[in-house]
Amino acid sequence: MPTRPHLNLGSHLLPGLVALALFAVLAAVFLTSSFGEAAGFPTDVSITANIGYALIDLQRLGTIPTDGFLAALLIIAVVLDAALDGAVMLAKREGDEKLIGIESTRTDGGRPRDSAAGGTDSGSVSDTASDTRTGTNTEEAN
Amino acid sequence: MVATITAFAFEVAPAIAILPLASFVIALFAGKYLPKRGALAGIAATGGSLLLSLWVALTVAGGATYNEEIYSLVTTPNTFDLHFGLLLDPLSALMLVIVSLVSFLVHLFSLGYMNDEGEAGLPRYYAGLGLFSFSMLAFVFADNLFMSFVFFELVGLCSWLLIGHWYREDAPPSAAKKAFLVTRFGDYFFLVGVVAIFATFGTTVFAGPESFPTLAEEALAGSGGAGGGAGGLSTFGFGPGAWFTILGFLVLGGVIGKSAQFPLHTWLPDAMEGPTPVSALIHAATMVAAGVYLVARMYGFYALSPTTLAVIAFVGGFTALFAASMAVVKRDIKQVLAYSTISQYGYMMLGLGAGGYVAAVFHLMTHAFFKALLFLGAGAVIIAMHHRQDMWEMGGLKERLPIPYYAFLSGSLALAGIFPFAGFWSKDEILFEALVHGIGGSPLLLGGYLMGLTAVVFTGFYTFRMVLLTFHGEPRTHTARNPHDLGWSVKTPLAVLGILAATAGFVNMVPVGTILGLERIELLHGWLDHGISGLTVEHYGELTHDFAGYTTGALAGSEVLTVLLSAGISLALALAGAGLAWMLYSGPNPEAHTERLGDVRTLLMNNYYQDEYQVWIAETFGTGVARLSDRFDQSIVDGAVNGVSEVSLLSGDRIRRIQTGIVSNYATLLTLGLVVLLLTVGLAGGWFL
Amino acid sequence: MAVAVQYYLLLSAAMFCIGLLGILTRRNALFLLMSVELMLNAANINLVAFSLQYGNLTGQVFSLFVTALAAAEVALGIGILLVLYRNFGDVDITKATTLRW
Repeated sequence: MPTRPHLNLGSHLLPGLVALALFAVLAAVFLTSSFGEAAGFPTDVSITANIGYALIDLQRLGTIPTDGFLAALLIIAVVLDAALDGAVMLAKREGDEKLIGIESTRTDGGRPRDSAAGGTDSGSVSDTASDTRTGTNTEEAN
Repeated sequence: MVATITAFAFEVAPAIAILPLASFVIALFAGKYLPKRGALAGIAATGGSLLLSLWVALTVAGGATYNEEIYSLVTTPNTFDLHFGLLLDPLSALMLVIVSLVSFLVHLFSLGYMNDEGEAGLPRYYAGLGLFSFSMLAFVFADNLFMSFVFFELVGLCSWLLIGHWYREDAPPSAAKKAFLVTRFGDYFFLVGVVAIFATFGTTVFAGPESFPTLAEEALAGSGGAGGGAGGLSTFGFGPGAWFTILGFLVLGGVIGKSAQFPLHTWLPDAMEGPTPVSALIHAATMVAAGVYLVARMYGFYALSPTTLAVIAFVGGFTALFAASMAVVKRDIKQVLAYSTISQYGYMMLGLGAGGYVAAVFHLMTHAFFKALLFLGAGAVIIAMHHRQDMWEMGGLKERLPIPYYAFLSGSLALAGIFPFAGFWSKDEILFEALVHGIGGSPLLLGGYLMGLTAVVFTGFYTFRMVLLTFHGEPRTHTARNPHDLGWSVKTPLAVLGILAATAGFVNMVPVGTILGLERIELLHGWLDHGISGLTVEHYGELTHDFAGYTTGALAGSEVLTVLLSAGISLALALAGAGLAWMLYSGPNPEAHTERLGDVRTLLMNNYYQDEYQVWIAETFGTGVARLSDRFDQSIVDGAVNGVSEVSLLSGDRIRRIQTGIVSNYATLLTLGLVVLLLTVGLAGGWFL
Repeated sequence: MAVAVQYYLLLSAAMFCIGLLGILTRRNALFLLMSVELMLNAANINLVAFSLQYGNLTGQVFSLFVTALAAAEVALGIGILLVLYRNFGDVDITKATTLRW
């Protein structure tokens, strides 16, 4: 039988009131403050092009003031790579999870598992990692 | 050249006290390895002190005095400073000679009493004696009340150490504790008094224009009436006269404790548990003398307060009579002497209270000689009797111990006040002062005089009862028939003191001087009348006259007649007491006549139940206070400590419940915190306006 | 006619609080991840809005980085989710309480 979403009311919604309260406070602050007229951007230049220049520290080619972000770009690349590696590592099935780090961070209180598998898949993991890295790079290049 | 020598004498004066301190250190650390276990070091040190004291006394006799600060402990600008200093004037020079002489002789006597008897713990004993002498000598030349207090307490500590010398037996440690606690009770008031004097005058110096007696005198002379502060001194809401009286009473607390005056005298008879030379030292020159000496030292302050003087005189007179009555029935030779000491210090207090400053100092001096003599004589008898002290086991020692007998007799005649021995002159002068000032407008003093006069009879009686029972008649025990031999170290001090007890009175023969009109014969009076201004007899006389209203009266208007009558009465009464003793106890086998006194004897033997009621007070109030303190400790102190831990335990147990392990709850709390923070900061910073 | 910046802020606050609401009330970990995305994007709105306000591109460039960071976060978040499911047989966050006292 197909289900459809239904509103689940109950006491578990109570903490949500805090979020509403936060919104009320924020709104009260924002609406009572004034920031003056917006400076805006010139209409005759390409903002996207300027962003592109800023990403690779070529902002002197553009006209809108900005900082250079080459270092940040490289760092975020590495971070994404590491995140993917980590995601894959976490997502490995326990049957063949005998990998770096996992052994010591069991979340079930450290009870030993009876399956004695492991070690053989390290090659395939690194393959996957290199694959994904390629993929990531491709994405970023876009 | 003369000035240089004078200055040098005062430069080395601290060594008078330092030498016994050195002997204390030597006896304590090296006593075991020395041939006489530290005795020789002590004899050398006190001998050196004696020589230096004599030198200082000679220098003082030349008219020089010394009043200098030598070591400053704490100095604070504009308020007060705590320092040690030297005050060398005729009074302290005289006392230094007395103390170092008695101390020297006691050390010498100890060779015979302790070393030859093979006592244990000799290094400890001699270390105690050294420290005792050091404390007393430093107390004597102290130039301020703070230093006096420090050494007053050290004297108390030493008496505790020495009375409890034979600590393995039952009685001595308990007697030592009693002496310490009872005197401490008095010293408590003394300490409060010292602090109060600091607070009032900003100084506790005895002599000089900035001394507290001088300041007090100026304040009283300046204010000229009741109410308000006086001369920039803070008197804490009292009139200056009333406040100075309170201060005097506070310091007097320490004096009464140390000098064993009623009602804090109970420690002294028990202190007989210590070795006999120590008893001699305590009674003649150090501990007990310290109290009276303190009053004499700050007499310029006491002279300002008629109330305090009257109380001193009354307490003194009462103690003299009270203690003498108890001495009548005692069997133990040292007990008799102990009560006679209390009684004699009562006389000194009577003298001081009656305005007889010279008389009291005179009696302090003569008493130091004859009481040291009597104790050392008793010690000699005790050695001879193989440490028996009951007089009823003695008898007939006269032929067997001639030197102790004649020395002891000399001391006894002095104690009883028989002409022309030392005690006669000094005791008579005290009574004379009380009488003339009593007639001359202070009738209250006549009460003290009458009590003192009655005590003379008792004194004569118990003194000769003691002499007759000990030395006369037939030997009553085997030991008394074959007494132990005595060495030179026992006999020498007895001989020296025997001569002094017989002759020391000649330095101030007031009756002779008055009758013959020879003022110069009153040497001690002249001695105490020079030196630092403000500490002289003449000045004290003016003070007692101006502030306490003491004026000299005379019987039938004739000074000579008054002197003669006073001397005659006291001599006659002393002879009457002695004669009664002679009648009752002179036979070969005297009977125990005091047995016939019945209930009175029981009362006297039990010392008027003074111990019992004091113990009762101590137990009732002490236990009450202790119970209160215990409750305070259990409930408030422990309660606070336990409460803190209880609160942390409980709150920890409660607060950990918010750690549910559910992420949403943590996030809720975080958000709530953020909201509260924003609201707080926003309201404070006015974001919502 | 440029919209005043406080309305952008209001929008971003609304988005943020909606995300927060999700985090506070939902028990399913997947919804939590989505809510976090919402909150991050609320922050992005702020960045872009103030970039316009001050005529400086830095904010816009920064919002790109935030997006990239969000991707990384989701990648790890889903990985953790898988482990969670494996250990507790569920993605209900109220069940994963073994590390509390």
